[in-house]
Amino acid sequence: MRQQYALRTQLVMAVMGFIAFAIIFQIVRLQNSYVTPQIKANELNGQTELHTIFPDRGEIYDRNGHLLAGNKTVFEIGVDLTSVKYPEIIASAVSLELGIDYSKILSDIHNPAEGVSYVVIADFVDLNKGERLKELKKKMKLDVKNGSVGDLTGLNFKAHPQRSYPEISLASNIIGFVNREGRGYFGIEEKYNDLLAGNPVQVLVPIDPNKAAEITHVPNGTTLILTINRDLQAAAEKILDDALETYGAKGGTIVIMDPQTGELLTIASTPRMDLNQFWEYGTIYNNASDFNLAISTPYEPGSVLKILTMAAALDSGIVTPGTTYLDTGSILVGGAWIHNWDGKAWGRQDMTGCLQHSLNVCMATLSTQMEATRFYSYMSNFGLGHLTGVDLSGEAAGRLKTPGDSDWYPVDLGTNAFGQGVAVTPLQIMTAVSSVANHGRSVMPRTLYAMVRDERQYNTTTQIVGSPISEATADTLSEMLANSLEFEGSAALVPGYRLAGKTGTAEIPVNGFYDSTKTNASFLGWGPVDDPKFMIYVWLKEPSSSIWGSETAAPVFAQIAEKTIVLLDIPPDNIRNKLVQK
Amino acid sequence: MNIQNVNHLVQAYKVAPWRVQRQWIVNLLLAVLATAMVATLYLDVTSKAALAGREIQNLTALITESQQRSGDLQTQLASLTSASVMEQRALDLGFRPVKSEEVEYLIVPGYFAPEPGVLSSASIPQLSALSIPPEYNESLFDWMDEKIVSSSRGR
Repeated sequence: MRQQYALRTQLVMAVMGFIAFAIIFQIVRLQNSYVTPQIKANELNGQTELHTIFPDRGEIYDRNGHLLAGNKTVFEIGVDLTSVKYPEIIASAVSLELGIDYSKILSDIHNPAEGVSYVVIADFVDLNKGERLKELKKKMKLDVKNGSVGDLTGLNFKAHPQRSYPEISLASNIIGFVNREGRGYFGIEEKYNDLLAGNPVQVLVPIDPNKAAEITHVPNGTTLILTINRDLQAAAEKILDDALETYGAKGGTIVIMDPQTGELLTIASTPRMDLNQFWEYGTIYNNASDFNLAISTPYEPGSVLKILTMAAALDSGIVTPGTTYLDTGSILVGGAWIHNWDGKAWGRQDMTGCLQHSLNVCMATLSTQMEATRFYSYMSNFGLGHLTGVDLSGEAAGRLKTPGDSDWYPVDLGTNAFGQGVAVTPLQIMTAVSSVANHGRSVMPRTLYAMVRDERQYNTTTQIVGSPISEATADTLSEMLANSLEFEGSAALVPGYRLAGKTGTAEIPVNGFYDSTKTNASFLGWGPVDDPKFMIYVWLKEPSSSIWGSETAAPVFAQIAEKTIVLLDIPPDNIRNKLVQK
Repeated sequence: MNIQNVNHLVQAYKVAPWRVQRQWIVNLLLAVLATAMVATLYLDVTSKAALAGREIQNLTALITESQQRSGDLQTQLASLTSASVMEQRALDLGFRPVKSEEVEYLIVPGYFAPEPGVLSSASIPQLSALSIPPEYNESLFDWMDEKIVSSSRGR
């Protein structure tokens, strides 16, 4: 019996001993395996891998949710030199699909730079082309199993986003573009580059599945909603293009702003470009300032500036709307004679008549009565010579010469009053005049309506930048400008709506002298006068069919004002008044 | 056989060396069994965690892929409904731009025009991930530590 137990015990001990030996053998084997250094290296690296993550750049929408700038997937196609088996087959397939030179691909694979184990053959490859190559790779791999010779092993595909502009050239001067390195240029893309972000980031990703929760989350860029109205932008661009053709103008811009909030609804400017082909920029624009005329190109605005001179005169109490003066057709300021636009004397006029007939002599009289200190103080408070602060890249400040500047002369006090010798951008003059439309308060123009990040939307708010004139002055001047348009029977009027505005015809200085055959024609107006919903600025560069703003820019204003009224659902004054009464 | 002999036999049985040995073996086997059970449980949990982790990694990759696909489709949709395309489609269907004097305005009581630019419906902070109860991700030591800390606070 005892002997039997002893035999069994020995058997159990042998089995246990064998298992123990097997365990020790396995431990020794693993310690000395060829993969051990690799495992140790991973351990030393904290079991992580360096990955390149491509977060999506934030999208850009118009105020009604239409996508203006989005992202599409493209491929980086490369060859892993450590696993490539048939370089000739890879070169052939890629060459056929992408149209890249066969010998160049083969040369890149055979002659890589020293220490390089991965060669990029092509980047920003179209999604469909990349997918076709991927399918081919899969098919060839299956064929190899069935006895076929050669496949695309080693050919790698890395999907990453690329900026895409579905509206092509629409609002191109507002949006700007992104180059292949992911940097924004011009407009929104440059101004909000850091917010939109979406640049590739290299992060360490843990290989250990137990550390999956530690995978770095790289957030996508912030989505932006603009104040721009896509449909109105399209209409403005079409009207502008037609106007350039009709009036033979060299260029132009149409800007529409809500004067109560500063929201820019439209900035149409010429020329425009297909943003998906940003590399064409150099062939379309000669200077960076041409990209958006409305913010980057200061010019002498001419009679449109008379609105500000009259506002200053009314606000300082020098005149009232009923104040009259005798227009003799000329005035001597700083030793130089200033004449009316037609060289004629207009006799006795009140201040509304001054605006209606756009009399230079009247304005020079007002500015000299105010004297330089007060006049320039008003102009500075209106924002002339200062940046408006619009959230677009590349804004120019313009130039307002003041006494004390080396290039200021006493005659400038007279000429500046009717918009000569002072350089402003269209957006500057709109910001200044917004104080007239908006009961004395200037608003900061802006294109950003809201930002969306982490499923939350943050709306921007209206910024009042100053009150250069009183509410009473602003309302009085609005009435005067509306009356002057009606008395004149302006081509800018739209039936059913009371509008205020002013034409501008500014001769262009050439080699220090004004050329009477070359003008900048413009019109600045807003409406409805009692509750302004839009302010429109039209600027046509050197129209050839007529040099006058009243014959070129004013009818264009009427066209775009009518379109604005329809697209913004603004009822005629009589219906609106009925609504208010109810 | 008297009662004394019976007691003697029982005593002899209790102190038999082979019985003591068997008790030791049984105790040892129990200890081995308990260790094996713990090891099995540990292996089971660890392997499940590893599988779940791998699934998370795969799902993360899938999310990225889906987001890219979604972005592609969104951009394609925007191209198909761009201003120029929609205008052309409307013209092809026989529509023409309306003039301001042709528009009729009706007063609809209680109607408010929609606010522009509302892309996000979130008015309250959104949680970025589902909250997981601590029972599913804390270790035995974490649980004990938490219990000790909470009981000491209770005092």
